[in-house]
Amino acid sequence: MKTKKIRMPGFFKGLKVTFMTMLKTLFPGGLKKPVPNPSAGAHTVQYPRVKELPPTRARGVIALHTENCTACMLCARECPDWCIYIEGHKELAPPRREGGKPRQVNKLDRFDIDFALCMYCGICVEVCPFDALFWSPEFEYSEPKIDDLLHDSKRLTNWMDTVPSFTEYEDGSEQKVRAVPDPVEKV
Amino acid sequence: MSQTEQLSYIAGQAADARLNLELETDGMVINLGPQHPATHGTLRLVARLEGEEVVEAEPIMGYMHRGYEKLAEVRTYLQVTALINRIDWLGSFANEVPFILGAEQLMEIEVPDRARWIRTLLFELSRIANISLFLGEMGLQLGAVTPAFFAFRDREFVLNQIEQVTGGRFHPNFDRIGGLKDDLPAGWIAETKSVMKRMRTFCDEIEDLLVGNEVFETRMRGIGVIPAEVGLSYGLSGANIRASGVDWDLRRDEPVGLVYDQLDWKVWTHPDGDSFARYWVRVQEVREATKMVEQILDGLPSGPIMAKVPRIIKVPKGEAYIQTENPLGAMGYYIISKGDLTPFRLKIRSASFNNISITPWLLKGTLVPDIITILGSLYFILGDIDR
Repeated sequence: MKTKKIRMPGFFKGLKVTFMTMLKTLFPGGLKKPVPNPSAGAHTVQYPRVKELPPTRARGVIALHTENCTACMLCARECPDWCIYIEGHKELAPPRREGGKPRQVNKLDRFDIDFALCMYCGICVEVCPFDALFWSPEFEYSEPKIDDLLHDSKRLTNWMDTVPSFTEYEDGSEQKVRAVPDPVEKV
Repeated sequence: MSQTEQLSYIAGQAADARLNLELETDGMVINLGPQHPATHGTLRLVARLEGEEVVEAEPIMGYMHRGYEKLAEVRTYLQVTALINRIDWLGSFANEVPFILGAEQLMEIEVPDRARWIRTLLFELSRIANISLFLGEMGLQLGAVTPAFFAFRDREFVLNQIEQVTGGRFHPNFDRIGGLKDDLPAGWIAETKSVMKRMRTFCDEIEDLLVGNEVFETRMRGIGVIPAEVGLSYGLSGANIRASGVDWDLRRDEPVGLVYDQLDWKVWTHPDGDSFARYWVRVQEVREATKMVEQILDGLPSGPIMAKVPRIIKVPKGEAYIQTENPLGAMGYYIISKGDLTPFRLKIRSASFNNISITPWLLKGTLVPDIITILGSLYFILGDIDR
């Protein structure tokens, strides 16, 4: 007589998977020395108390290095949502060398980014030819009023403190690691 | 029979007739959606029922139409890339690739090897991120909540890897005409390898949880069978058509610009064509994708990641159509350029639109509870349908 092979029904097989996951979550240190520590085994964190840091390249908020900005309007033109507002004027600065002609410099009057409209594509940071815009992974700037999401140049400059330095590249890359400019004193 | 009895007999007959008239079953029309948790967005399905049986079903699309084809006409190529991320929001990077390849074909740009390899790598990572969510969500359609949580948990690792490279979890906006925006950060390769191992464990877990499960099998096997010729005539693509036994994969058949021809992998098919086959093929596809990612990580050539491209991109006059095998199926962009900063016309062929078009044929004669299973197993994303 052929003996019928006893197969574990799929239902119980599934229960086993769930049970093992529960054990792994409850005892992340292993079952040999079962110390229950579900907060370490869980994949989530208790947000306001524990914070997960986004990677350095994360597109959280745009920081402005005002010294480098020449009000060339490239970012405002390339922005798909037109959420960057720039106003500037030309000014005569003292000449660099003795006896030279006075230089013409572009002064920034207004640099606003409306984060309510921004879609975080990063095109403005990419097209900036003078290294004035940087991404910061900071993300906690939600506001009760939508108008307050319009960050002016002062607020954008303050984000410069949170900009992390650029990461090194993986082997075989020919990219050059860029440097983040030193923050100027706060306005 | 007395007169009273006669009258009461007539009254009774009349009451019966009225009751019959009221109970006359004329079929019932139910609206599934537009806001229904089982439709992944805003798809409305109007089904005419005869008892529990569906006589006629018609999907009504367009609730999420955003007019991408028209929007693209007034945006530069750099801006279009940011826009088309939002078509299939679960595997965003895969949306960018065919568009960029088409523009590169028009501009006749030779892309560096390293960029092509990293493109393929991110393409497969977005496939894993996309399909692994389906693997969990299919359980949710049938009332099993655990697989969905498992899928969200393990998919997060893949999204983290994508975010570390591109800066965006959902919308990478990383592909550029001529190459890529940036190179891989240090330490990323080793981390990704361990994540790939984890994703294979996830596939095993999900197979133990669902594929062997008796309830799952009875609800999926033999339900919603698509014969190969019907599927082909409706323009199905991707895993849906491979589950019907058609050995068709654009990654192998026309590997334009990507490096699939240099990798060792297999196209999985299933002869049945039912809901279960579609699920099974996708489980294998995730496995195959993890293996492909590991091969790419091992064989990554060194070099630049960007070809020489003018700063202001003007695509020369011409037309190009490029199709790639996206997570949901064949996705193509038909670009017509008149030599301007913006495309003159951009036609988007997205997989889900064709995949959902089979539902009137497929749902005819099925039972009401099976609607959800069949819709779930076809796996569409509403952003991909309506664009």
